[in-house]
Amino acid sequence: MPTVRLRDASEYPEPARRLFELSKAWFDYDFKEPPAMSRVMAWDPHFGGPHGRAMKRAMAAGEFTRAEKEMVAAVVSGANACTY
Amino acid sequence: MEAHTAAGKLQGLAGDAPWYEAAFVVGVTNALNVAADGLTAALPPLSDADAGPEACAVFADVRSFYGGADVPAPLRVIARDPAYLADVFAAIRRAFADRCLTRRHKEALAFAVSLTTRSAFGLGFHLTELRRLGVSERGIVEIVGVAQMFSSYTKIADTLQLETDMAHIAPVDTSGVPEPDGE
Repeated sequence: MPTVRLRDASEYPEPARRLFELSKAWFDYDFKEPPAMSRVMAWDPHFGGPHGRAMKRAMAAGEFTRAEKEMVAAVVSGANACTY
Repeated sequence: MEAHTAAGKLQGLAGDAPWYEAAFVVGVTNALNVAADGLTAALPPLSDADAGPEACAVFADVRSFYGGADVPAPLRVIARDPAYLADVFAAIRRAFADRCLTRRHKEALAFAVSLTTRSAFGLGFHLTELRRLGVSERGIVEIVGVAQMFSSYTKIADTLQLETDMAHIAPVDTSGVPEPDGE
């Protein structure tokens, strides 16, 4: 169980809520409620903003495709024993 | 992990076969790394002269698979049991073969796992393999970036004990088990 209360999207101020629209576009999926990690990162847009941009830069297609990189991210998460 | 598996499936890796392949790569990568880091000091890699003919036959296959490079130290360690060496290498060769996923992509997975688990052997070995397979420094930094960013996300998720909430968005592969292709 999360150690913090994850707020509903409606509880976030408008600028933070814009990050949730970016999440939908990033995952190409129309979430009913933004994923927990998106809500965590939107808690502090001054952290979540640059962190998210760095992630998107790392995940952008280059010598490896976005799909290939999503798989790399999955194995890194597995190696870190993270189920999320 | 489930979030990125789901994201990867939404990005076109929808079937289960590539994920099985990735899992096998991660497994044997870790198997090589645990027999290298730390162990080689206590159980030295065998030279060709000490390994015997059965192991040397496997070593020849290993060199061929790795483009003529020397046999990796962990395989020389386990060459004390040539039959075991042969089976381990057969599994490695199968796991890293070009199939649903390219060998180049599989080396990127192995490099990322080695980076994440801080394996000095794995880092050097898979970095060499990535370069041999034509990946540039920029491509290598791409993988470093992914490993770094998702080592951050995972620790944030763990610290807050976030629960998986994305697995359901991935398409489900309802196909059966494939026939072995008799490589």
